Amino acid sequence: MTAANDVVSSAAPAGPLISQRALIILGRCVFAGLLLWAWQWSANEFGIIFFAPPLAVVQRLYEMAISGEMFFDVWATLRISMVGFVIALVAGLILPFLLRLSARLTEAVEPFILWSQGIPKYALAPWLILWFGIGDTPKIVIVVLMVFYVIFITTFAGIRAVDRRLINMARIMGANETVISREVIWKSMQPFFYAGLKVALPRAVGACIVGEFLVSTQGVGYYIEHSRELSDTVGVFAGIVLATTLVLVINMIVEKMEKAALAWRPVDRT
Amino acid sequence: MTAPLLEIRNLGKRFASRQGREAATWVIQGLSFSVPDGEFLTIIGPSGSGKSTLLNMIAQIDVASDGEILFNGDNIGVLDQKSLKPGLDRRVGYVTQDDNLLPWRTTLDNVLFPLEVQGRLDDKARARAESLIKAVGLSGYEKYYPHELSGGMRKRTSLIRTLVYDPPVILMDEPFAAVDAQTRTQLQEDLLRLWEMGRKTIIFVTHDIAEAVALGDRTLVLTKQPTRIASEHKIPFGRPRNVKDIFALPGFAQVYESIRAEIQ
Repeated sequence: MTAANDVVSSAAPAGPLISQRALIILGRCVFAGLLLWAWQWSANEFGIIFFAPPLAVVQRLYEMAISGEMFFDVWATLRISMVGFVIALVAGLILPFLLRLSARLTEAVEPFILWSQGIPKYALAPWLILWFGIGDTPKIVIVVLMVFYVIFITTFAGIRAVDRRLINMARIMGANETVISREVIWKSMQPFFYAGLKVALPRAVGACIVGEFLVSTQGVGYYIEHSRELSDTVGVFAGIVLATTLVLVINMIVEKMEKAALAWRPVDRT
Repeated sequence: MTAPLLEIRNLGKRFASRQGREAATWVIQGLSFSVPDGEFLTIIGPSGSGKSTLLNMIAQIDVASDGEILFNGDNIGVLDQKSLKPGLDRRVGYVTQDDNLLPWRTTLDNVLFPLEVQGRLDDKARARAESLIKAVGLSGYEKYYPHELSGGMRKRTSLIRTLVYDPPVILMDEPFAAVDAQTRTQLQEDLLRLWEMGRKTIIFVTHDIAEAVALGDRTLVLTKQPTRIASEHKIPFGRPRNVKDIFALPGFAQVYESIRAEIQ
């Protein structure tokens, strides 16, 4: 009793911030527990064909890791999503910077780019298979199409949001357009760029997985679809967990990069 | 007196009217003056008299609708957007009302920015930047970001960022308007001290009569719209000056009053 009292009194001067933080973590644990319980409950209620129990999924993931199948599939998905992502990133960044140089060209081209965004990308899949066969290419194209617009639109908005006065200042000091693009526009659109990345990266992985549902012999999407064909619900769930983990890890990396790149911003220095 | 370094002839500015509004009005019309090399010219005018527009046209980030500007006797094209050369090949510096520091650059990197974009970033340039930082009391703040500095410190950074690349003409648009009175006096003293060292040509726009008199060799008073020069006042004080004591000098009240009477 005395010991407990001591702990309380010594913790008190640390201020409400610490206990606030502890409360949040406690709340998260409770919430995670509730979700797990709901998952287990659903598995009991609906049966293993419709809802795989959590422990069986963990068991499956463990087996996949031991056999190396997990890394093989994750790598396949990661490779295609990243190739598509990089192509879309380069195109989505360069195009707005080029359009910036001509207001008239921008006005002429912009509506077409925005209208083409309205095409449901997955509807193109059969046609893409017709063109590119069943290899990596149709999946890469789908990823590119899903990612490009996000990068293009955020970059475009970022360029438009740059403070004109900073550009004028740089011009007066003798900066040419390349230097202005690099040192003023690119730097000041970083918050937009990272906002775009955070939407685009999960999209890239998601698009790749859907692509794998349609045509593939490997990858996380293939694993999920293949498991479904075998009525292996545990496999379906294991694949979903794997895909989710992949996206979360990618997001964590982007957030670390963003923190480092935007260290100058007052809001990010708490 | 030698030929003026900068000559403004019949300058006019008209803003395109918006839809549904009457014909465009002239903000500035028939405005002429000239500035000899090494003069500290102050321009004073009521708010809304197009002071910033005037400087924007001299700095060539804004087109003029009429008139011409001569630099060293050469007519520089100011009527066509395409022929504008912002900063006139680094010969015209511009310290704006807002500090316009790059928020992602530290104090030192902001001061080095013009040298960097001009490809002149060598050891000599770095030494010059360091000495200017020291001269305005920013030593120790080189690694701070603009949002971590006070308003006065940001003004100083913005001021020496223009001084560091040594343009022969420097335009200043109410650079000290947004700081408190005490900081302003300090900044004015800093500016005069730096100016005594280099004696650049300065065109300093303000709406504060005391500031115009304390800093300038000559003060121009602007009219209301459409803006022209209403009058010219020689400031009868020698150099170097002490900004704090200027109010007590004989003749100050007289100059102050005659300018005040001009401003409607």
